[in-house]
Amino acid sequence: MSRLEAKKPSLCKSEPLTSERVRTTLSVLKRIVTSCYGPSGRLKQLHNGFGGYVCTTSQSSALLSHLLVTHPILKILTTSVQNHVSSFSDCGLFTAILCCNLIENVQRLGLTPTTVIRLNKHLLSLCISYLKSETCGCRIPVDFSSTQILLCLVRSILTSKPACMLTRKETEHVSALILRAFLLTIPENAEGHIILGKSLIVPLKDQRVIDSTVLPGILIEMSEVQLMRLLPIKKSTALKVALFCTTLSGDISDTGEGTVVVSYGVSLENAVLDQLLNLGRQLVSDHVDLVLCQKVIHPSLKQFLNMHRVIAVDRIGVTLMEPLTKMTGTQPIGSLGSISPNSYGSVKDVCTAKFGSKHFFHLIPNEATICSLLLCNRNDTAWDELKLTCQTALHVLQLTLKEPWALLGGGCTETHLAAYIRHKTHNDPKSILKDDECTQTELQLIAEAFCSALESVVGSLEHDGGEILTDMKYGHLWSVQADSPCVANWPDLLSHCGCGLYNSQEELSWSFLRSTRHPFVPQTCLPLEAVGSASNLTLDCLTAKLSGLQVAVETANLILDLSYVIEDKN
Amino acid sequence: MLSSMAATGSLKAALQVAEVLEAIVSCCMGPEGRQVLCTKPTGEVLLSRNGGRLLEALHLQHPIARMIVDCVSSHLKKTGDGAKTFIIFLCHLLRGLHAVTDREKDPLMCENIQTHGRHWKNCCQWKFISQALVTFQTQILDGIMDQYLSRHFLSIFSSAKERTLCRSSLELLLEAYFCGRVGRNNHKFISQLMCDYFFKCMTCKTGIDVFELVDDYFVELNVGVTGLPVSDSRIIAGLVLQKDFSVYCPADGDIRMVIVTETIQPLFSTSGSEFILNSEAQFQTSQFWIMEKTKAIMKHLRSQNVKLLLSSVKQPDLVIYYAGVNGISVVECLSSEEVSLIRRIIGLSPFVPPQAFSQCEISNTALVKFCKPLILRSKRYVHLGLIGTCTFIPHCVVLCGPVQGLIEQHEDALHGAFKMLRQLFKDLDLNYMTQTSDQNGTSSLFIYKNSGESYQAPDTGKGSIQRPYQDTVVENKDELEKTQTYLKVHSNLVISDVELETYIPYSTPTDTFETDETLKCLSLERNRLTDDYEPLLKNNSTAYSTRGNNRIDISYENLQVTNITGKGSMLPVSCKLQNMGASQSYLSSSMPAGCVLPVGGNFEILLHYYLLNYAKKCHQSEETMVSMIIANALLGIPRVLYKSKTGKYSFPHIYIRAVHALQTNQPLVSSQTGLESVTGKYQLLTSVLQCLTKILTIDLVITLKRHPQKVHNQDSEDEL
Repeated sequence: MSRLEAKKPSLCKSEPLTSERVRTTLSVLKRIVTSCYGPSGRLKQLHNGFGGYVCTTSQSSALLSHLLVTHPILKILTTSVQNHVSSFSDCGLFTAILCCNLIENVQRLGLTPTTVIRLNKHLLSLCISYLKSETCGCRIPVDFSSTQILLCLVRSILTSKPACMLTRKETEHVSALILRAFLLTIPENAEGHIILGKSLIVPLKDQRVIDSTVLPGILIEMSEVQLMRLLPIKKSTALKVALFCTTLSGDISDTGEGTVVVSYGVSLENAVLDQLLNLGRQLVSDHVDLVLCQKVIHPSLKQFLNMHRVIAVDRIGVTLMEPLTKMTGTQPIGSLGSISPNSYGSVKDVCTAKFGSKHFFHLIPNEATICSLLLCNRNDTAWDELKLTCQTALHVLQLTLKEPWALLGGGCTETHLAAYIRHKTHNDPKSILKDDECTQTELQLIAEAFCSALESVVGSLEHDGGEILTDMKYGHLWSVQADSPCVANWPDLLSHCGCGLYNSQEELSWSFLRSTRHPFVPQTCLPLEAVGSASNLTLDCLTAKLSGLQVAVETANLILDLSYVIEDKN
Repeated sequence: MLSSMAATGSLKAALQVAEVLEAIVSCCMGPEGRQVLCTKPTGEVLLSRNGGRLLEALHLQHPIARMIVDCVSSHLKKTGDGAKTFIIFLCHLLRGLHAVTDREKDPLMCENIQTHGRHWKNCCQWKFISQALVTFQTQILDGIMDQYLSRHFLSIFSSAKERTLCRSSLELLLEAYFCGRVGRNNHKFISQLMCDYFFKCMTCKTGIDVFELVDDYFVELNVGVTGLPVSDSRIIAGLVLQKDFSVYCPADGDIRMVIVTETIQPLFSTSGSEFILNSEAQFQTSQFWIMEKTKAIMKHLRSQNVKLLLSSVKQPDLVIYYAGVNGISVVECLSSEEVSLIRRIIGLSPFVPPQAFSQCEISNTALVKFCKPLILRSKRYVHLGLIGTCTFIPHCVVLCGPVQGLIEQHEDALHGAFKMLRQLFKDLDLNYMTQTSDQNGTSSLFIYKNSGESYQAPDTGKGSIQRPYQDTVVENKDELEKTQTYLKVHSNLVISDVELETYIPYSTPTDTFETDETLKCLSLERNRLTDDYEPLLKNNSTAYSTRGNNRIDISYENLQVTNITGKGSMLPVSCKLQNMGASQSYLSSSMPAGCVLPVGGNFEILLHYYLLNYAKKCHQSEETMVSMIIANALLGIPRVLYKSKTGKYSFPHIYIRAVHALQTNQPLVSSQTGLESVTGKYQLLTSVLQCLTKILTIDLVITLKRHPQKVHNQDSEDEL
C-alpha cells in the first residue's frame, strides 16, 4: 500500500516543433549524423564517464544505441532509425539525415501539416515506384553467377565505415572473406525453399586483419590444457555425435511441489551418479565418438567417457546449440535414460587449431551450411566496428539474394532520383496530384524541399571542403577536391562519378549541386553493357535503401504531424 | 486533514478544466486532426490521436478533471469511440449553462431582466438543472431519437433481415472511423486492412459473438513488427503465437494437436503430499518409472497422430526430448489468454495425461491445417492453421511501423473499431415518455394547436425568410468579416436584419447563440398571439443575440425584450395547465442494429434541429432550457470538424443547407463520404449527460491528504 503514490501531472506542450529547444537539439543530432556519413566521414568517440569502454564509431547502430536521447521527438526519430537498422542493417545514417533534412526543409515553408504530409506521401510513392520500375536508371541487376558485383557491394559497405581502420589491401581481403562466408551458408542442393545457414563470427583481437579467415564448421574455444587432454581420434568414417541439452552434472531434477523425504543413509548423489554412468555405458555401446553438452558434465562421467576413447566437451552454451544441431543433424538429448538411436548426429572430422593466442576445437561438417569467420583487428574498438560491418555486409548479401538488384551508390542514386522528381513534378504535376485538394504551387514547393533534402544527404558525403556537382545527362554525382582551381575545365578535374559508372571524358555538362538548375530528364533505362565494363562500382543495397527512404519520410511525416507533446513526469 | 473547495465555482471550475481539455483534444479531432506524442514513465514514446489515451496520459490532478476522465474511460470501455467528442460536447454544455447563469448575475442587464433573474434563482439551481438533465436523458431523448431522427437513419446492412454487410458500406464506416484515429497518411490503408480482416474472418452467419471474441482477444490476434514501413502490414490466415517452437518437427497431412495445462512428466510428489525415499534403488526405479511413463505418453500421443503439443507451462527437458523423438512439435509457456482463445476457436478442452495408462483414444485432439514457424523481421513466431468450429475464421493482423508507438496506435484503433462494430450490431432499446391527452379536451386542443403551430412556423415563415436569406448568403460568401457593415446597411430591413445575425456567431467564435433561434425568432413573431408560453424561448434567444452585437442591434433587441417580459408572466399558468391536463405514458421501442448516418456532424445537426423544435413545443421552462442548451452544445462538434474548411464547406454553409433541407423535407446532402454509427453517438450523448449531471450534483469537493485506504469488502466481513 505504501507504494501507492499520487502520480505527478504530465507536462503538456503544444506545437512542439516551433520551440527553439527542439530545433537546436534536432540540428545537433543532424550535425552528428551528417558528419559521420560516407567513406570520409568523421569518427565519433563515445565514452561514458561512469565506466565501460570507449567506442569509436561512425555507424548509426553503434552511435544511436549509445546516445542518450531525452527529448521525445528525437526519441521517435532515433528509435525509428534504430528499428530500421535492426531489420536491414544498412542505410541507417541515410535514413536519419534524410529525416532531419525533410523536417528542417518543410518547416521553413510554413505550409499546413495536412498538405505537407499528403504531398510527401505522393513523392515517396513516386520514388518507390520509380526505383522498382524497369525503367529505373540507377539500379543494376545482381548476377549471382559471378562475384564481381557482389564484391563491389561488400566493398562499398566496408569502405563506408572508416572506423574499421582498414587499408585498401585489407579491405579487399575482408571483402573476399565475407563473400566466401556468405556463399558457404547457401546449401548446395537447394530445391525450392532455401534455408540459409549461419556464419558465426569468432573474435580474434590484437591480430593483423590480414590473418582473418573463414573455416567451414564450428570452432569451440578451449584452454590449451583442456585441448591437450582430448585424445586424438583416428577414424576414417564420420564421427558419431551426441548433443545433450540437459545437465549431466548429477543434479536431482525437479521433484514436484510436494516434499521428498530421504531416509538416513540413502545417498541420492550416488544414485544419480549410477544413472549417469549407465548413460555413459549406453553411449559407449552405441559407438558414440563425441559427446557435447550445453551444460556441465560430471567429472566421473567425463573420466568414464575418456577411458572409452569418447571425446566429451561440456559448457558449450546456448548460443552454439542451434548451429550445432543444424550442423551435426542431432536431436538435442534431454533424457538421462534410454536414448533413441535417431538422436545421434555426425561430423566429418574434428581437429584442434590455434589462431593467435587462442586454441579451438574445430568440428568439420560433412556438408553443412555453417561456417566460422575468424575476424582479426588491431584493437577492441576497431574490432567491434569491423564485426558490426561484417554483420551488415552478410545481412545485405542475404537481402540481395532475396531481391537481386543493387542501387548505384556514392550518392548517384540520390541525385538521379532528385532530378527525376524535379522533372516529374515540373512536367506532369496533374498525375501526381490527381484528385487532391493541393495546388500545383504547393506541390512545387514540397517537391523542391524533398529534392533538396535528398541532395543535401549526398552533400554531406563531402567533409573536406570539396564541391559537389551533378551532370545534366545522367543526374549523377561528381565531386571536386577543395583546392582545385576554379576553372571550367571540368572533364580534367573530374574523373569518375560517385558510383564509378561514368567517366568525365563523355560530352557532359555539369552544374553545382547547390545551384538552381532547370529540370531535366535524367537518362532512364541503364544500358547493361555499361555495367558489364565497369569493374569498380560503388553499390548500395536496394532493399535497405528503399526501406530507409520509406522510414525517413514516414517518420518525418509523423513528427511534422505532432500538435502536442505530453510528457509523463513520473 | 480536510480542506474544502467552495461549491459556487464548481461549474466555472468544470468549465475551465473542460476548456483546457478541449484545446488539447480538438487538435486531434476529425479528419484534419493531428497527432499527439506521449511519453511513458518508462521512457517509451506513444503516438496517439485516441482521446482516452491522451486524457489518461495527462495524469490530471484536478478533482473535476479526474472525474471527467473517469467518465470518459468508462464510456470508452463500452463503446471504444468518442472520447474527443465527449470532451468537446461536455465543454459546450458547460459553456451553455454558464452563459445562462451568468446572465442572471450581469449587473448591466436592465431592470426587466431582474424578474427573470429571480426566476432563475428559484428554479435553475444546480439541482433542478441536473434533475432536468436526468429527465431529459431518460424520458425525452429516446423519444426524439425514435420519432424524429429515426426517419433519417440509414442501415449499414444491405438487407436488414439477414444482416448481410456489403463491403462498400463497411468501408465507408471504417474510413470515417479511422480518419479520426490514425495519422492522415495511414488511415486509408488501415481501414482497408481492417476491412480485409473483417471479411476474411467472418462467415456469412457471423453473429455478434464473433465481435465479442475479436474484441476480447484482440491483443492475441495481432502481431507488431517494428522497423518496417506501415505499408508492409498485412493479414495472415491462421493464428500467430508470439513464441518460438521449443521443438519443431516439420509435418504435413493429418496434423492433430493437444493442449496441456500441466507438465506431462509425472513428478515425485504433488503439492501437499510427501514422498519418502527409503533406498537408492527406490529412487532409481521411480526415476526410471517417470521416464518410461513420459516416453509412453508421448508415444501414445504419436500413435493418435498428435503432432503438435501446446502447453501453458514449461515442460521438462525430458518431455521436449521425447516429443522431438516422436516428431511432435512443442510450444511452451502460452499465456492463459492464448490458451482460452484457442479453446474458443476450436472448442477444445485440455488434455490430461491419463493416470492409468490405456490404449484408448484421446478425445481432446483437434485437427490443424498446418503448423510452421513464421519469420517476421528475423524474429520467429509459431504459425498455426486452426480450423475454427465457430463462425470465426482465424486470421491475424501483422502491424508494421517504424516505431512501436505508431504500431500501438494502429492496434488501439483497430481494437476500437471492433468495439464500435460490436455496439453497432446490437439493437438499441429506447424507452421514453410521451404525453398523451385524453380527458382534458381544452388542454389537449391547446397542446395540439401549439405543436401544430410550432411545426407550421418554419414552413409558413419560410417563403419570406428564405429568399432574402439566400441573397445575403450570396453577398456575404466571400467576406465574412464585413458582416458588420452589411449589418448596418440592412438593419432597417427587418427580415434581412435577422438573417444577417446568423453570420455573427461564426465570425466571433466566443459567442454562444444559435442561428436557428434567430430564424425562429422571426417565425415566432408571427405566432406571438397564439403561443403564450413561447416568449421565454424568445427571450432566451434575443438575450443571446444582444451579447456581443453592435449597438444598432442592442437597441432593437431591447425593444423586444420589454415587449416580451410582459407576456412572460403568463408562463406559470400555462405550465400548470399543461401538467394537469396531460397524462403520461411510457413507450418503448428499439433502434435496429446497424443504424448509421453520414459523417460530418449530421447526427448533431439533426438532433439540434429536432431538439429546438421540441423545445418550442415544450411547456416546462427547465425542459425548454435543457433542450436548448443541449441543442446548442451539439453544434460545437460539427463546428470543430469544419474548423479548417472555407467557402462552401465552412460550417455556416453546411448548417444552413442542412436546416433548409430539413425545413423543406428534402434529403440531407453530406459533403463527406463516410458513415458513423448512430448507436455510438447516442451512447456518447447519454454518457456526457450523465457526466454533466454528476458534475452538477456535487456541491463540495473534500480533499484528503493521506494515502488511500484499502476498501474492505463489508459483505465478506459480515460473513466471517
